[in-house]
Amino acid sequence: MSETRGRISIEPEGDVLVIKGAIDESAELTALLERAQGRRLVLDLGGVTFINSLGVRDWIRMQAGAQRAGIAVELRRVVEPLIHQLNMIIATRGAARVTSFFAPYACDGCGREDSLLIDAVTHAQGLAQLEPPVMTCAECGAQMAFNDFPERYFSFLSV
Amino acid sequence: MIPSRRLRAPSILIVHPDHKTQRTVQRVLGATGYRIDVADDLAQGVRLLTHLEPVLVVVDGSAMTSANVKQFFTAAKTRGAESCMTLVGAAQLEQMPRVLGLGAVTNLLVHPMPVLGEELTITAQKLIRSDLFGAEKYLLWGTKLNATTLTRASQRSQLVSELAEQVRGRGQSARVASMAMLVTDELLSNAVHNAPIDAAGKRYRAELGRNGELELDARHQVALRWGCDGRYLAIEVTDPFGSLDRDTILRALVQNDVKHSGSGAGMGIALTYRSCDHLVFNLAPGKRTEVIALIDVRFPHSERVPASSYNVFVERS
Repeated sequence: MSETRGRISIEPEGDVLVIKGAIDESAELTALLERAQGRRLVLDLGGVTFINSLGVRDWIRMQAGAQRAGIAVELRRVVEPLIHQLNMIIATRGAARVTSFFAPYACDGCGREDSLLIDAVTHAQGLAQLEPPVMTCAECGAQMAFNDFPERYFSFLSV
Repeated sequence: MIPSRRLRAPSILIVHPDHKTQRTVQRVLGATGYRIDVADDLAQGVRLLTHLEPVLVVVDGSAMTSANVKQFFTAAKTRGAESCMTLVGAAQLEQMPRVLGLGAVTNLLVHPMPVLGEELTITAQKLIRSDLFGAEKYLLWGTKLNATTLTRASQRSQLVSELAEQVRGRGQSARVASMAMLVTDELLSNAVHNAPIDAAGKRYRAELGRNGELELDARHQVALRWGCDGRYLAIEVTDPFGSLDRDTILRALVQNDVKHSGSGAGMGIALTYRSCDHLVFNLAPGKRTEVIALIDVRFPHSERVPASSYNVFVERS
């Protein structure tokens, strides 16, 4: 994750809208609904650096608008700052389906910490049982440990 | 029997059912030099409060199931005591919504020993000495605090990014940097837009767009300080208005509406509280508000307590 907050940018890549930068007071996410294709909106959130309370409010308005309009929202590569909001504020989840997301891992061997991508569809069964997938350290090759409380971090998946 | 002159001496009252823990807490707080009184339960605490005038009452979270909760905190407030509750362990943390719902607990400490000992001592010392302000009280001796003054509202985004980069540059994890970004952004935003208040009590900048430019004259400038001592990353934001009040803070911390709908006043405070390990409000009504967010950088996230401590201190005039 970049430490530079950056202004929000939204670019299409095929049928996916790629969002990068900060989701804050300048986000205007409800406008995304007009870009839904066939009542389907796919958002790639892997480049989101930050979300604040004003961004959260805008995000909730976007989710509520999608539900009212019958638009199915799919969230891909959801970064940790967004996962924390999905876990803290139930309304941020809307009816969106998270198909992949980043999660914190730490290596007991070398101490490396990483935010690693989890495919929520492939690992659905394990995640439902609060079992994070096994990950390998890119630095020393040891098995990494999930670096949060699974019951808390995966709670957004329970809706 | 305790002589009545002694009962009026400055004291701290501990309410805890376990005698071994009573002694531990007694030793920690005894270092303040104040007399320590001990009650096994709230009923006994209420009886003691008819004779005592403690500066601080420290109550174990197990007391939340007692029928005397409201009576005790009302009695403590009447006697001029600040109240501090400790919630240590998973079972006690389940009581957190009830504690917050009381709206009477101005200090909540959730970390096990030895952190609890540090938090208790600082809480007691600040109250006893009437010396509330400054993040230095939470950091080890010699820790350098970086200081910046916000003179334009648009500087917020840049300052937040710079702070996060410097935190990462000091070897902290991306998660710590991310928490620091959110906390700093929310505290600066509150100080710039919600703190300014006119003589009629109107928050005249609260409705202004957050992405618009505002020149901040000397009256409106916001101070940011931050530093890390290898235990805590401390972020301190101060505004010169002192318009944030204790009840507003306690309501924001309850945040049931925030949790379910993401709406309601004080959402920034609620998010800040949940994005740090300890949130401290130092209030000098009409003069200044200082908020300190502490992020514990010692432990992996999976070893942290899944809750946060808070203190709301109000300067006595």
